[in-house]
Amino acid sequence: MRQLLVDLFSFQDRPPFERIGFLIFILIVLAFPWMVTSAYGKAVMIKFLLFALFGLGWNLIGGYGGQVDLGQAKNVGFGAYATALMMLWWKVPFWFTIIPGMIFAAAESFAVAYPMFRLRGHYFAIATLCVALVWKELFVFWDWTGGARGIEIPIRPTPDFAYMQFGSPIYYHYFIFILFITQLLFMNWFRKSKLGYQLQAVRDNEDAAASLGINVSRTKVIAYTITGGLGAVGGSFMTVYYLYIDPDFVMPLDLSILIAMTVMVGGAGSIWGPIIGAALLIPLDMYLGAWLGAQKRLGIDFMIYAMIMMVIAAREPKGIWGIIERLSRKG
Amino acid sequence: MGYAAHFMFNNGIEPEMELAIQLIIYGILMGLIFALIALGLSLIFGVMNIVNFAHGEFLMVGMYIAYVFSSSLHLDPIISLPFAATAGYLLGIMSYHFLIHQILRGPMVAQLFGTFGLMLFLRYLAMYIFTPDVRSISKGILVGKILSLGWVTIDLSKVVSAGLCLLSFAIVYWIIYRTKLGRALRATSIDGEAAQYMGIDTKKMNALAWGIGGATVALAGALLAHFYYVTPTVGMLFTLIAFAIVALGGFGSIAGAFLAAIIIGLIMVLSGHYVSELKFTFIYIVYFLLVVLRPRGLFGW
Repeated sequence: MRQLLVDLFSFQDRPPFERIGFLIFILIVLAFPWMVTSAYGKAVMIKFLLFALFGLGWNLIGGYGGQVDLGQAKNVGFGAYATALMMLWWKVPFWFTIIPGMIFAAAESFAVAYPMFRLRGHYFAIATLCVALVWKELFVFWDWTGGARGIEIPIRPTPDFAYMQFGSPIYYHYFIFILFITQLLFMNWFRKSKLGYQLQAVRDNEDAAASLGINVSRTKVIAYTITGGLGAVGGSFMTVYYLYIDPDFVMPLDLSILIAMTVMVGGAGSIWGPIIGAALLIPLDMYLGAWLGAQKRLGIDFMIYAMIMMVIAAREPKGIWGIIERLSRKG
Repeated sequence: MGYAAHFMFNNGIEPEMELAIQLIIYGILMGLIFALIALGLSLIFGVMNIVNFAHGEFLMVGMYIAYVFSSSLHLDPIISLPFAATAGYLLGIMSYHFLIHQILRGPMVAQLFGTFGLMLFLRYLAMYIFTPDVRSISKGILVGKILSLGWVTIDLSKVVSAGLCLLSFAIVYWIIYRTKLGRALRATSIDGEAAQYMGIDTKKMNALAWGIGGATVALAGALLAHFYYVTPTVGMLFTLIAFAIVALGGFGSIAGAFLAAIIIGLIMVLSGHYVSELKFTFIYIVYFLLVVLRPRGLFGW
């Protein structure tokens, strides 16, 4: 028990400058709603934390596992729809809808993982893409999911803690922050766990890992299942935060790409990578996208994304964190 | 064709049967077009073991070139074919030199993201230039014409497009299997290093594979635009169709891709008619089952 707590909370294996940086980051996020008054700034912060949360989850399979999953949006969608439908049909309070969403997403990931991990590399990536697209088309097609019209969460007249409806974004800010920190600590435990080391061994050399007695496909399937469950948490949050979901909003391909991209740009396979990636891309998206949208220049923000992606792929496959690590080793 | 004509030419064949035959013909025609679309993907994969996510976006470029010829230059879209092919060739060569060449040495993740970035770039460039509006070509010698043979009626544009795609496919097949250049290309695909020792400039061969891939798919796009709508996001669907075809035909096998394309064309048209709204889901499920159950494809060994 004590060991578990140490593993969760200890960043002792990281160099001091990282720990100090992390501490400063936490303090900034905690103080943020009191320092920034603009509603838009607060929305950007919440979206940043949401995507950092998504990135942390994706990093498990994509970074530590080295398996490019281009279908994480389906898990976000499962979480969002589980929350929305349970709240609408059975009036279940929000807090009891998170776990069922995670379980469903994990179960679905587990079910498709075994056949999918017969594939490696590109084929695996395309297969994840196909699975996610099939789910999205089904959610558009079915009636009980609200189809393409989506689901609107009825607005309550008074702030309601059970259904997570508040007048002020501060509550959402701290709620997503708690989810984010929980997931960060989980990942901190995971990277030092037996499964985490096995997964990294599989990423670095599958054949060598197998020859050391690691069950390669079992390791990958478990990692993919956990990633699925982690993705659903952010989806549940999206339902109560935006109060409206449809398949184009919570499970499009663009979302899968953006999640994978934040991690790749920040640095896949490092604990800070997803946070750095989200800190760069989300404000870029929110401010640049809004500014260009106002000028009727659709698409330029994504063209900039695409160029960042190509440059990172060609020059710096380890992302921004790779650059920071190299500089700190020299300095 | 009106109802009167329908009864005149109907020589005792059940209407359902008639419809089925018509759908099968349509499916085969679409299959021939798909074959040319998938050719480039298969070729690029065979030569350098890399999957081009931007493949459908090359197709989209061809489609928009045909559209621009028709709507802005007021020319017949059929004139755009050589221009689309040339543009596709240059796009392929440029992609290779500026991007693919750089990421080939990197890890698999970087390769994947590189071509994915290219895909996004082309897609949103099109969105910037043409806006997200759905567009289609309304004028041209092939557009809207109908060919009727007895009770079978088909768009002339589909017949001509399928014919030209078949011809182009045959030409590329001839280049690859009957010329010295093609032999060098095949040698590179079997073993790049060995080919290099034999004095083949493998970098040039890689670029050539991208050039041919870009030219064929852009040509198919210009033909497709005659009867299919154009949007900046149209590429993804065709990328996935091409993936499904290449998976079915066996990765890197060109003859396999041809047969697979016709099968996929039939699946898509028939499921599109009988199951309607979920026809793309069928393509994805077919792809998923294929790669999982038979990773070497139906015709691979």
